[in-house]
Amino acid sequence: MKMVALAYGFIWLAVLVYVSLVGRRLLRLDGEMDELRRRIDRLNR
Amino acid sequence: MRAIMSTMPSRTKSSLFVGACAITAALFIIASRAIVEAPQEVTMGLVQKIFYFHVPCAWLLMLSTLVCAGGSLSYLFRGSERGDRVGLCAAELGVLFGLCVLVSGPLWAKVAWGVYWQWEARLTSSLLLWLMLLAYLLARRYGGASARQLAAALALFAAIDIPLVYFSVRFFRSIHPHTTVVSTLGPGMRPAFWLALVAFTALWSVLFYARLRAENTHARLVELEVLLDQAEEKKP
Amino acid sequence: MTASFWRYVLLVAAKDLRIEGRSREVLYTMGFSAALVVLVFSFALANATDPGQGPLTAAGVLWAATLFTGTVALARVLDRERENESIRALLLSPAPRPAIYLGKLLATSLLMILVEVALTLLVGVFFSTGVFDHLVWLAVILVLGTLGFAAAGVVFSAALLRARSREALLGAMLFPIVIPVLLAASRATACLFDPLAPDLAPVSFWMRFLLATDVIYVSLGLWVFEPVVTGE
Repeated sequence: MKMVALAYGFIWLAVLVYVSLVGRRLLRLDGEMDELRRRIDRLNR
Repeated sequence: MRAIMSTMPSRTKSSLFVGACAITAALFIIASRAIVEAPQEVTMGLVQKIFYFHVPCAWLLMLSTLVCAGGSLSYLFRGSERGDRVGLCAAELGVLFGLCVLVSGPLWAKVAWGVYWQWEARLTSSLLLWLMLLAYLLARRYGGASARQLAAALALFAAIDIPLVYFSVRFFRSIHPHTTVVSTLGPGMRPAFWLALVAFTALWSVLFYARLRAENTHARLVELEVLLDQAEEKKP
Repeated sequence: MTASFWRYVLLVAAKDLRIEGRSREVLYTMGFSAALVVLVFSFALANATDPGQGPLTAAGVLWAATLFTGTVALARVLDRERENESIRALLLSPAPRPAIYLGKLLATSLLMILVEVALTLLVGVFFSTGVFDHLVWLAVILVLGTLGFAAAGVVFSAALLRARSREALLGAMLFPIVIPVLLAASRATACLFDPLAPDLAPVSFWMRFLLATDVIYVSLGLWVFEPVVTGE
């Protein structure tokens, strides 16, 4: 029983960690995109 | 520049992605119910249920390797930058699901065989495949100027190596269940297994799409930055 | 593959071997570190009370030492092209890229085999095993195993030409990939070293496996060498 819980628990944890890493990267990219949009606006003024 | 900005991820694509996540979550809920309801295996008991997660993860490790090799092929011989990004995303997922296989397997093995590890065909080839994907990521990070070519070559060698490793190590007696075990599953276990497989594959697809989108976006952002720098320099 | 193709292969190999012949750098450094590796293993694994382990251990140590120190040969043979950017000259020459690959493969394999012969003697002495009972078979296994290792090794060594952490990465890249070669070669060699082995059927099996592996690795190497060494 313990082994089953450990196995499933580990898999969920690993997937969650990866998802959060990808999520963080996407957020960072969003920030970079916004920054670039601001620069384009400034350029077009 | 406007052309590049217009190819950025749109709201439509985002809602499709959210939809895919929802479907994946639903699949997992259904699969989990099926796994709980599936009968316990006669000889191994409860611990056999690790099988429902262990095998899909192993399948995803193989899938990731193939996709990585495909992307690497496209990058090396057609200069496809997209192929290179596909390879990277697939390698990351391969390392993730490979880790899941290599942790869940020994946990099951300890109860079923009495040992955590055995040097037999499938375990050894899985471990080596995982190490090769890890080496791919290392190569990308620290390989210097030709990091991407190095990693791509590695992916190709890894892809053809797996049948070789498997065949060579198979020479020794194996206590790991054979692939025929899937077709001999009892009727109570079959739906749980296939549902878990589908759910995991959906998860892989969603993660792959998200990761690839991040890479593609990053690549376009870099292009945009270069153009902006040039434009800002020209402006008086 | 025309006659001029093979001429280029021999030219590239001869160039490397000539340089090596003058300095003998790879032979001495690889030979010495290989001998030390064998020594380290003999101390670590010495099991005087179990003579039955002799052939298996001896074969394993021989191939492990070859693998570890083979990266030295690989690194040096390709490293020489970094100095004075002679790799650019080599690539600008009319020699076809696959010919350069084969030439490097030939040169590296020859150097490694020379060291392996000495290693085999050493292993025979330290592990008290009869290593020259089946000389022809042993020669075949040594050649095939070395070719398999070098086939993958030349590709990765070339790819790492411009990397900073070359030495660390070469082993990391190469070892998982050459495990089948190591496995096959050491199993075959163990059978050859074992005076109690009933027949040489396993040797024949592993020899055919090594041959197949070598064909696959060399083919892949020929195909992949050009984009890897010229890519930016």
